[in-house]
Amino acid sequence: MVPALSVSHLHKVYRRGTVGVDDLSLEVAPGDFFGFLGPNGAGKSTTIHCISGIANPTSGRIEVFGVDAVKHYRDARRLVGLSPQEFNVDPFANARDIVDWMGGYFGITAAQRRDRVDMLLQKFDLVAHAKKRFRELSGGLKRRVMLARAMVNDPALLILDEPTAGVDVELRRDLWRYLQELNADGKTIFLTSHYLEEVERLCRNIAIVAGGRIVRQGPKEEFVREPGGLEAAYLRATGAEPDHVAAPGA
Amino acid sequence: MSAKSPLINWIGLATIIRREWSRLMRVPIQAFLAPWISALLFIFIFGFVVGSRISHIGGHRYLEFVLPGILMMNIVNAAFLQSSSQVYFSRFLRYIEEALVAPLSYAEMIAGIIAIVILRAVVTALGILIIAACFGATSIDAIPEFVFWIIIVSMVFGLLGIVIGLWANNFEQLTILNVFLITPLSFVGGVFNTLSMLPPWLRWLAWGNPFFYFINGIRHAMIGYSEAPQGLGIAVALALGVVMSLAVWRLYAIGYGLRE
Repeated sequence: MVPALSVSHLHKVYRRGTVGVDDLSLEVAPGDFFGFLGPNGAGKSTTIHCISGIANPTSGRIEVFGVDAVKHYRDARRLVGLSPQEFNVDPFANARDIVDWMGGYFGITAAQRRDRVDMLLQKFDLVAHAKKRFRELSGGLKRRVMLARAMVNDPALLILDEPTAGVDVELRRDLWRYLQELNADGKTIFLTSHYLEEVERLCRNIAIVAGGRIVRQGPKEEFVREPGGLEAAYLRATGAEPDHVAAPGA
Repeated sequence: MSAKSPLINWIGLATIIRREWSRLMRVPIQAFLAPWISALLFIFIFGFVVGSRISHIGGHRYLEFVLPGILMMNIVNAAFLQSSSQVYFSRFLRYIEEALVAPLSYAEMIAGIIAIVILRAVVTALGILIIAACFGATSIDAIPEFVFWIIIVSMVFGLLGIVIGLWANNFEQLTILNVFLITPLSFVGGVFNTLSMLPPWLRWLAWGNPFFYFINGIRHAMIGYSEAPQGLGIAVALALGVVMSLAVWRLYAIGYGLRE
């Protein structure tokens, strides 16, 4: 079966010599809910940028459903939706236009776009805020706009880089439910998050990256079964000592 | 799973234009009113007040002589400011990433920017022609030639603006080319004077100044007055257009200023 995402020996060295990713390889099966964990600066966002086209890989190969993301980048982009960690939008544009323009970039016709944008605004509870400028929205609403924008092309592979950072508990729960529905419908989801509870709840497979390399990869159950659960497994994999974290009430 | 992209993403291309036009409409004073007022002042002072005391040039009133140059200066400015600010601000605020993650080819991204550059230049030019008509100075002898010069010059300076927009890392750098190259070269390129009015040593320099050919070309299209062979001017403009197009396409292909 062709993997939804295949990254082989990815290297990314920035212009000033900083190594972002160093020989990173991973595979995500179609329909998987894949957690991509790591400390800040480990190479998570760099990997996502290389997959989605925001950064050029220095070397290595990236394929999305078997399509080379560098050689046939237009075909590969068509399959991907990205909700990035940082807000990369025109702050003076309104929520509806932001989602609609993205649909236009993906070549969706005006009639189809209207329906799709209406549905997404409804889904993310943005109808009342559709005509507000992005800069006037709260942090949670901004995050919802990013998610709606990522979904406008109905991507086969949805990449979510810290999608719940800065959102309230209610939205987080709503979003989890929505992502689970999408995944149940067959959508492949690639998620990075610092909330281990979120990853434990949603993901089936996990890869941990540190220093630009994958340091551990496997089914979630393997991590959860370990003493101390996912958090302890994560800290061990990234080189931190789980013991130095004080237990609640200690 | 059907992932094949069409040969040309027409809807994507139209969206780039539609989106940038919407951004432009947020700043109509800066985009259109400012160049129209500036042109009005130039036409009034240099063409009408000062010009009435200057003898005819090649059988044309001074106002008719300077109008093509004033028009060209504003087209150049509109084209350069449009593309440089469009690219720079989309990089600065990072919304250029929306285009980078979409199935748009480099050629489509560049074509989208150039289309809006030409649109802005045409609207600016139309406004100036209307203002000039109020002073009884609008005449266009050869419409196809006139359209050619507006399009090719907007394209060349739109492409130059893209390069600067990709290169600039702050607002200061964004204005460098305009201050040190575009404005001086356009002023010595024959906006207000003929070649023969220049001191002899500067005349030869004018032949190496592309603005001279642009201004001369549009002046020929408007009033039929020319100081250089039209073929040479057209060749210079087309060569610049081709070189700049290839350079910008290459910058997009390697991700210069776009992809980290």
